[in-house]
Amino acid sequence: MIDQFPILAEINPGLWVILAGLICTLLPVGRARKAFVIAAPIFAGLIIFQLHSVTAAQHLGGVMSFGPIELTTLRIDRLSVVWGYLFCLAGVINGIYALHEKCRITDSSALIYTGAAIAGVLAGDMITLFVMWELTAISSVFLVWKGGDHAYAAGVRYLAIHVLSGVMLLAGAVMHAQANGGDFMFNAIGLDSPGGLLMLLAMGIKVGFPGLHMWMQDAYPKASITGTVILASFTTKFAIYALARGFEGEPVLIWIGAIMTCFPVFFAVVENDLRRVLSFSLNNQLGFMVCGIGIGGALAMNGVVGQVFVHVIFKGLLFMSIGAVMYRTGTAKASELGGLFRSMPYTTMFCLIGAGSIAAFPLLAAFVTKAMILAAAVENHLYIPFLMMLFASAGVMEHSGIKVPHFTFFAHDSGRRVKEAPWNMLAAMSISGFLCFYLAWPFGGYQQLYALMPFEMEHAYKPYTWDHVVFQMQLLFAAIFAFTLLKRFKLYPAERRAEILDVDWLYRRMGLNVAMWGSAMWDRLSANMSRARTRAVSTVGRRLYQTFSPAGAASEATPSGLAAVLTAGLLFVVLVIAYFAR
Amino acid sequence: MSTETEIPVEVEAEAEIETVSAPMDDIHPVSRYFLFLGNEKVKRNFIWFPLVGMIISILLGLHFKQKHPLPIEEYIPGSWAIYGFIAYSLIVLSAGTLFKILGRDESYYGEGGLPDPDYSTDPMVTGEAHHD
Repeated sequence: MIDQFPILAEINPGLWVILAGLICTLLPVGRARKAFVIAAPIFAGLIIFQLHSVTAAQHLGGVMSFGPIELTTLRIDRLSVVWGYLFCLAGVINGIYALHEKCRITDSSALIYTGAAIAGVLAGDMITLFVMWELTAISSVFLVWKGGDHAYAAGVRYLAIHVLSGVMLLAGAVMHAQANGGDFMFNAIGLDSPGGLLMLLAMGIKVGFPGLHMWMQDAYPKASITGTVILASFTTKFAIYALARGFEGEPVLIWIGAIMTCFPVFFAVVENDLRRVLSFSLNNQLGFMVCGIGIGGALAMNGVVGQVFVHVIFKGLLFMSIGAVMYRTGTAKASELGGLFRSMPYTTMFCLIGAGSIAAFPLLAAFVTKAMILAAAVENHLYIPFLMMLFASAGVMEHSGIKVPHFTFFAHDSGRRVKEAPWNMLAAMSISGFLCFYLAWPFGGYQQLYALMPFEMEHAYKPYTWDHVVFQMQLLFAAIFAFTLLKRFKLYPAERRAEILDVDWLYRRMGLNVAMWGSAMWDRLSANMSRARTRAVSTVGRRLYQTFSPAGAASEATPSGLAAVLTAGLLFVVLVIAYFAR
Repeated sequence: MSTETEIPVEVEAEAEIETVSAPMDDIHPVSRYFLFLGNEKVKRNFIWFPLVGMIISILLGLHFKQKHPLPIEEYIPGSWAIYGFIAYSLIVLSAGTLFKILGRDESYYGEGGLPDPDYSTDPMVTGEAHHD
């Protein structure tokens, strides 16, 4: 294909997906749109495959100049190609999942969003990265707003935060390029310059660093059913790519990542909305990746790449299964669900596969990749981050491994009897479920994942060793045992409907109140100022009138001697001013 | 004049029979093989499964030592089981206190509005399930 159309080697494959999205905005026929939704990511994936197989090391294309700035809009190397494939795969799975939804906005924004994410990870320079960074935000906010009126404010906050992140990225990129002789290529950035710090902060917003994370738990659970599934695939993983490219081996990321793994588990345990629980879980999984990037080196970075790959699949599977439940029952609140295995057995099975994968059960997805990051931490004698990640692994078992499937499909019977999920949702979940097994399969499965990993390892990590399996099972069985014991003694908290406060309280409540107070104060101040100004003008006017009007004091009869003295005094003042002003 | 229609006794009885048999009709054919999972006895005895699994994995751990243990870990048999149990319990037991501190009414932020029933639903505001 590339031989026949050499221009394809110069155009970022993500742009074709964006173009398909733009066509979809004009296409009234639902079936045709759906064809685009499925075909466009496949087409982009094929181009990436061909370009990567032609030049296995690095393919650069789409080079253009804008004044002194040289842009390289396409770079396919061993790091970016993994994200390229992954986003194409996720685009296809998400497209299948959303086949039932006849919505032009969802179809087109999903395609533009997917295309922007693909184009972003395949961008060679920081300007293209910035453009795609912003485009992912602008295109994806429609998926949030499709959730309905109650998602409007969350969507606005989502957009504002992401646009801010993009602006910071651009500012950082410009500063970094200036410090490097005007080179805008996106390579290792480091934290030596203010530009680097700004870029890290921008990426930190998008990846959900502690304290900067709440846009995720705010917007994702309020988006439409398919919207949440699509949103969970791209934005944060795009940011992980940027971190992996720009900040590998930065020690500060080890601690940020370790904290990121731990804090969401405490929020997830009290949260009732299962889509928000999964959003916290997403945040927690990103922590493992950030920590791995901070550790750096072949083992950790390959672990990160592998974890990103499987995470998109199993997290998507979990969101898809809860989305299917919401589609049928109308809710994702744990307090309203339970006993659904009686009505939705296939969805139950897929949710359990996703739960087992995220909890890192042997033979399921994260078992191989998460262990690589943990092993890298031990290898580097990072014992406290290791213990924090191990603690978080027990937390993952709690919220995603047990809580989500238990309260949805088991627990008490809510009495809801609904249909199984639509065929297209089941088909999408089947693909993800199969991949969860395949990518951890000991006989030729995880080796395929290894083949994608970008860094050469001296000795390939062997996940299926007795000690790894046995100790992992110790952790998981102990967590399940603790769950059953706490349930038996009624110490496990019941699910209750509530709004759980988080960092966003600072701007949603306190910030809003401060802004409202400031606005009220400003109104009052400007009213008082206006009154004072009016009063001053009126007083001066009255005084002038009293003095100089025909009936004023200056018009009264004055003795000529006094008038002469006043005139002489005035002349003296004028002369003095004229002298100094000369 | 009353507009209510009298229901014949036989019809009422039929409806009762239907109600009794309804739960089984609503169960998915595949799920019928797994209904034992909802059995109280099974639920109660499920605790033995992780307990036995944990004991077996601890015993196996005594034989298959970790290749790269933490400094103190090699002296503690079943270290990951102990850690996992404590970590899990700590997380769950903290929930009550956290809920008291952080839990607010669902309308706390006052951002009501209706979800779009075609794309996203929730009984808090719509009152009933959709797409069934």
